[in-house]
Amino acid sequence: MKIQSFYLNHPNTLRDHLAKSYRIEPPQAAPGQNTPPLVSPKGQLFAEHENLFTFDGECFRETLPNPEPFALFGVQSCDLTAISYQDQFFANDPYYQARRQQALLIGIDCLSPCQHGFCPSVNAGPGVKHETADLILHQLSTTSWLLLACNQKGLGALEGLSLNPANQPELNDRDDRIASCIEQFSDDSHLKQGITAINQNQVPEDLWQQLGLQCLSCSGCTSLCPTCSCYGTWEQQESNGDIRRQRFWDSCLYESFQREASQHNPTEKAGERVKRFWTHKFGDNFAKEFGRYGCVGCGRCEVTCPGVIGVHSVMKRISSDAQLDN
Amino acid sequence: MATKVTTTICPFCGVGCGMNLLTEKNRLISVEPQIDHPISRGQLCAKGWSSAYGIDPKDRITHPLIRTPQGFRQTSWNKALETVAARLKQIMEETGPQAIGIISSARATNEDNYAAQKLARAVLKTNNIDHCARICHSPTVAGLNQTLGSGAMTNSAEDIFETDLVLVFGADPTENHSILGGHIIRAHLEGTQLIVVDPRRTRLAKLADTHLQLKPGSNIALLNAIIKIILDNRWQDKKFLDQRCEGLAQLTASVANALEGVEKTTGISLPKIEAVAKAYSQSKRAMILYGMGVTQYVSGTNNVIALSNLALTCGQLGRKGTGINPLRGQNNVQGACDMGCLPNVYPGYQKVDNPEVRAKFSQHWKTEVPEHPGLTSMGMTKATLAGEFRGLILFGENPVVTDPDQNLVKRALGKLDLLVVAELTMTDTARMADIILPAASFAEKTGTFTNCERRVQHVQQALPPLGEARTDWQWLAAIAQQLESDQLDWPDSEAVFREITELTPIYSAMNYAKMDQLHGLQWPCSPETPEGTAILHKDTFPIGKARLIPVHPIPIDENIDSKYPLLLTTNRLHFHYGCGSMTRKSPLLEREIPTGLLFINPADANELGVTHQSAVGVGSRRGYIETRAMLTDDLPPGLVCMPYHFHEAPSNQLTNTAQDPLTKMPELKACAVFVQPLEPGSFPRPIDEISGLSVEGVK
Ligand code: SF4
Ligand code: SF4
Ligand code: SF4
Repeated sequence: MKIQSFYLNHPNTLRDHLAKSYRIEPPQAAPGQNTPPLVSPKGQLFAEHENLFTFDGECFRETLPNPEPFALFGVQSCDLTAISYQDQFFANDPYYQARRQQALLIGIDCLSPCQHGFCPSVNAGPGVKHETADLILHQLSTTSWLLLACNQKGLGALEGLSLNPANQPELNDRDDRIASCIEQFSDDSHLKQGITAINQNQVPEDLWQQLGLQCLSCSGCTSLCPTCSCYGTWEQQESNGDIRRQRFWDSCLYESFQREASQHNPTEKAGERVKRFWTHKFGDNFAKEFGRYGCVGCGRCEVTCPGVIGVHSVMKRISSDAQLDN
Repeated sequence: MATKVTTTICPFCGVGCGMNLLTEKNRLISVEPQIDHPISRGQLCAKGWSSAYGIDPKDRITHPLIRTPQGFRQTSWNKALETVAARLKQIMEETGPQAIGIISSARATNEDNYAAQKLARAVLKTNNIDHCARICHSPTVAGLNQTLGSGAMTNSAEDIFETDLVLVFGADPTENHSILGGHIIRAHLEGTQLIVVDPRRTRLAKLADTHLQLKPGSNIALLNAIIKIILDNRWQDKKFLDQRCEGLAQLTASVANALEGVEKTTGISLPKIEAVAKAYSQSKRAMILYGMGVTQYVSGTNNVIALSNLALTCGQLGRKGTGINPLRGQNNVQGACDMGCLPNVYPGYQKVDNPEVRAKFSQHWKTEVPEHPGLTSMGMTKATLAGEFRGLILFGENPVVTDPDQNLVKRALGKLDLLVVAELTMTDTARMADIILPAASFAEKTGTFTNCERRVQHVQQALPPLGEARTDWQWLAAIAQQLESDQLDWPDSEAVFREITELTPIYSAMNYAKMDQLHGLQWPCSPETPEGTAILHKDTFPIGKARLIPVHPIPIDENIDSKYPLLLTTNRLHFHYGCGSMTRKSPLLEREIPTGLLFINPADANELGVTHQSAVGVGSRRGYIETRAMLTDDLPPGLVCMPYHFHEAPSNQLTNTAQDPLTKMPELKACAVFVQPLEPGSFPRPIDEISGLSVEGVK
């Protein structure tokens, strides 16, 4: 389908319209155009705690979620890119898909850089990519917005709303603004150098160990990172005696994440775990598999890491180390 | 069903990070950090991130339970309360109010703690009220009260970013107060000098500019030597000493010989000590943070005094980025003390032995208050064993596991005529109760917690109480009603808090609305300081001039010998908290427990024939346990270490019960042990299986 574009007086008009058929998430907040929320919408699709099945002694009963249709309203480009990444990862996961099928994605273009974000460096924003959303919001002025329908699902959701088609000049404006937003992002040479160093295996083991010393294994980065998808499972007995298997978000930064029953642990050292994490985010091998890097440049790990080894901190250490060596 | 977001405070440690609880259909689905919280700024530690597991409905106590010969039976609140009241009355009539008492909880809210001490004093007419802070920081309160006149952290968490030097003394903040630990890492990376004093090579020690790896128990020797060097070089803050302190002459005289033999006592070279003395005294702003490596010694109170002497000598107090700052363990241990859950003080540290104070409370409560001094928790244990104490109400604590005197406590609790325990889940202590009351979790109540920097913060209800659970102050009020008293009849938590502010000068200008607006209020918050106080002792001390008090090194109580050739110290694990009754419900944190709990230097291990993760027996003069060994050079040869509070291998079977004479703090940081390898391939036996074997029998 060709993208269709309309004028909209205010996102609330759209929101009120959608609220008739969708649960709106987040329920209140007006969408920000330069700061993604601290917590990404990841948990709406890949639940932090998900019941997988129950076993009553004889039969297994799958417990698929059954959510009503919901709209993720005002999602920034980084997070939408992350959702399309997760769509691949969970392509055959019935629990994820049961939620995903019910979700309508309404993106919003960012018009100025956020504090720690670097989406342009990893091709994940700041303008919403058409293939990652159903609808896109773009602010033209205080009283005028563009609304883009990227696919049939998006267009269908607009049914019943009277909208005027947008003209080409405003669409060009949109491209210009996104381009000027990109120019305002700060220097990303540490990221570029860091990515190269990681892929050419130039980061000394020592440095990984030093960074590992700063990892407090809090699980903050993996909880907030919109593309992290590791989970563990456990069984619990319910009050009626049934066994319920649940999965829960896990974190590769826990010492015990890869510890085997024999006590063998390939990532016993904290430095190994930190290295593993960043290789997953920026490794070319992973990029080949998923068509892009695992990092979408949201900057959340930089905020939430108590050990000061979020993305910028790590990449600055790696790049300055690399420079010293050269 | 949309998600509901409730703003509240992490229930695990004294940092008091801001967290949001996300609920759906009255179920907690997720926890998230608060980006605008002044301390945590979008961060949480592993415990915080996992807090949803701790209050999971599974395993929670949901109804009152009463002991019967066949075990616990569910009962109604009415029946439970009637039984409690009847037995309390009987004990009061037969033995008097000194035979009953309450042990409240450093995990409960200020409102709950206030209600507990009011029930004791205004209704039961006893000062037998205490909480479980004794095993962490009673020497802090005793020491700093003498030297400065206030036992709390003098400065604020944000000061870590506005100082030139951080001196971490006997504390492991990245593991126990992780978010503050992270602040220290950040400040250090940005250029703040970091000095760590610890017998173990902690995470911060590895990152620090200087690590003084002193021998356990040599704190005072080291501190006196530092002070001596400072005075000899005239590095002290003369103006501060002249104007704001007394006792310099005595202090100077007392450290005259402090350099003699100090290298041998502490294990640290003199030049290294000198460098630290110079750095601390000559920094524009230097900040001390300390923990249980200072307090958990027979010399605990004196250790605190020695640290205070150092800060005063250098005038590193009363300004931004300075101060002497105890890192307290439990989330509301500060609040439990502030609320007067101590036998000798009313809320706001107003002394029980002061008749004016008693008159004030008596007038406000319109009832007689008791004069006789109350018992500490230890005192209640002893009085029970002596047959003088008979009825105890206890909540939110599990002394059967956490008390250093585990075996004694167990005997005493078993001897009581009435033990009432309110808890979330069935703990070893609850199992000994006559009546168990279902308590509401932090997510199910409204109230306030006071963090380690004296910040009173609003805890908000996200979920209805599970089953018939009640907030602590509510069931305390119900007991009062059964005893025909309306003293605790408040309509809601805010009314409890209002009463607190009426009677507690340091809380007097606080209210919930202002607290919400300003992300908490730091006490003292009175009409003169309506927005609270970030830094204590700016112009004067509560006792006028601060006191320099000479203290002399006190050796550890139990040194090594040929039979017990290794020194055992204790630590805490980042992932666990208290007795683990909340954190161990998380599959992630449970998995993080190391395979073995005895940490030992490879050289010692080698000599003993112990290999990594092999089963070992560890014995002291008091007990014997088995676990696996973890080889690590984080410990120097001669020193081994075990975390507290794992029922698999409870280190308090081993630790010394010798106490700090003033505060009765047991010496948990040093005792003599032997370590022996078990049969290759064998499994360590849990304590229950071992008990019955005498120590001699194993050796
Ligand atoms: S690695 Fe950090 S910056 Fe990249 S997507 Fe994850 S949280 Fe965002
Ligand atoms: S946020 Fe930082 S400290 Fe926490 S697990 Fe991730 S890297 Fe480690
Ligand atoms: S540092 Fe303390 S208050 Fe903060 S999240 Fe961890 S346990 Fe909770």
